[in-house]
Amino acid sequence: MIANPTTQVDWNGIAPIITIAVTALVVPFADLFARTHAKRWVAILIGGLGTLLAAGLCAQQYGSTGTVFGGAFALGGFTVVFEEIVLLALFGSLLLFATTMQERRVGGSVALMLWSACGALLMAGASNLMTVFLGIELLSLALYCLCGMNDRPASRESALKYLVLSSTASGFMLLGMALLFGASGSVALSSLTLGGLATSSFLWSGSALFFVGLAFKMSLAPFHAWSPDVYEGAPMPVTAFMSVATKAATLAVLARFLYAALPTGMSSAFLLPIWILAGLSMLVGNLGMLAQTDLKRLLAYSGVAQAGYLLVALAGTTALGLRYAIYYLVAYAIMNLGAFSVAAALSDEKEAGSALSAYHALASRRPYLAAMMSLFLLALAGLPPTAGFLGKILLLSTGVATGYWWLAVLLILGTAISLFAYAKIIRAMYARPDGKAQPELPVAPWPAMISIALYGIALVVMTFYPLTPSNIVPFVR
Amino acid sequence: MAPYGSVALYLCVALAAALLFTVLPGLLAKPKPNAHKDEAYECGVEPTSSVSGRFPVRFYLIAMLFVVFDVEAASFYPWAVQMHALRMFGLLEMAVFVVVLGIGYAYVWKKGGFSWR
Repeated sequence: MIANPTTQVDWNGIAPIITIAVTALVVPFADLFARTHAKRWVAILIGGLGTLLAAGLCAQQYGSTGTVFGGAFALGGFTVVFEEIVLLALFGSLLLFATTMQERRVGGSVALMLWSACGALLMAGASNLMTVFLGIELLSLALYCLCGMNDRPASRESALKYLVLSSTASGFMLLGMALLFGASGSVALSSLTLGGLATSSFLWSGSALFFVGLAFKMSLAPFHAWSPDVYEGAPMPVTAFMSVATKAATLAVLARFLYAALPTGMSSAFLLPIWILAGLSMLVGNLGMLAQTDLKRLLAYSGVAQAGYLLVALAGTTALGLRYAIYYLVAYAIMNLGAFSVAAALSDEKEAGSALSAYHALASRRPYLAAMMSLFLLALAGLPPTAGFLGKILLLSTGVATGYWWLAVLLILGTAISLFAYAKIIRAMYARPDGKAQPELPVAPWPAMISIALYGIALVVMTFYPLTPSNIVPFVR
Repeated sequence: MAPYGSVALYLCVALAAALLFTVLPGLLAKPKPNAHKDEAYECGVEPTSSVSGRFPVRFYLIAMLFVVFDVEAASFYPWAVQMHALRMFGLLEMAVFVVVLGIGYAYVWKKGGFSWR
């Protein structure tokens, strides 16, 4: 006789995930019956409402503790904060469908993006290896399809590249998980915390492979080579979603592992490779940005560097460092979504706003978009008065305070290099028109324009009110 | 570590065997290529056409749709065996599963995925 499984089920714990999943079912269904010219807005509206509902349900769980589903999913502030960041990325990316992508593909794409977000939400609270893998695969499988949702050959190339490379990384990660299971005899992350495991060769080799998988998903150098190609080929809303949600969800898994699932008495040499990857990412990402002619490729390299910055805050594994990392992650999400929103506002289905040449003398034609793009780029570079500046100060301070001064040095060096790449775009936008006939710019609908303004306001306001949630130390039991 | 020694031994033997079978023929055999050796092997009958024939891409679509329903049937089986033990919970879970699948089915149908254009 099997024990009644209903007694172990706490649906409230995963209410946001269920909400998103149900929305993902409703969207394609509604798409079938919507009139041809309403399909785009029906999908965006239903998806957006579902996301808002999920965000509301999620916020109510802020104070809760403990795990649900037999220790598979941890509740609490940490989970809630990362879930909200994923939902922010989802909402922002759904709005980008307003201008880009063909009408007939929007319904399916929105549904897939919602499924992908489900995976990211699962990862935010995953407290055993099975849930981690389930989340990562759900996130990635939907993204493989989404990358190919465009008629350009580059889009198909991007989908295939992502599928092959990401599956390889998943393979590494699975082997790592198998070794971790061999070390502890349980899939629960909490079982890794036993002191006797600190010298287990299975734990060391398993963690190494596990980190390789995570570093790939987070596009840390030297596992970043896929991201410029995939970002460039994928449709713009997908790139925006991928650049924020994948990073946030993977960071959640990594942070939970580092903060809550390491054996007691673990030597600090164990984590050193991660910080070396972080330092390398800052250099490779920022240097790679210099030669790009496509905005999405540029933001891909920027994302590599930003992932490195984020890890600086985790280097000391202090609670304060995690709070700063979350602050910077939110700022990164907003500035990235902002930059992609401007690019989408300059694009139709053909995504002309993706090429950097489209930004030449933009200020004389679309002064509002040029000004907002400048703000987002300055924020990415880390200049005041934006949250990017304050975020970097916080990252630096925690890096220095915990003794990882060499990471702080690399952060400053990387920022200096990146400034050149960002400033080049701003200079081009404010250059005089060179008299050549420019292609006609599309007129973006008002929700897109309003969302761009909101991102800009949020970036400035966050500088003066640097609120970070306090209840964020992750747990696994 | 000790209980995994046999696994390590197994891995070594597997690797050695794989290398042996792929490397040794190349070292020992003298290559004597001719046109008949390059033909496709069809149980001794004269091959009638090229091996890598072309076939329409819609076969892939059918194959993918088939896999979905194949997996569905496979998921039903363990539930059917344990239906009495799982009681109402199992029934509801399966109902949810069928609804999710049904929406996908309706979507494919309405989009014309089943029509043989």
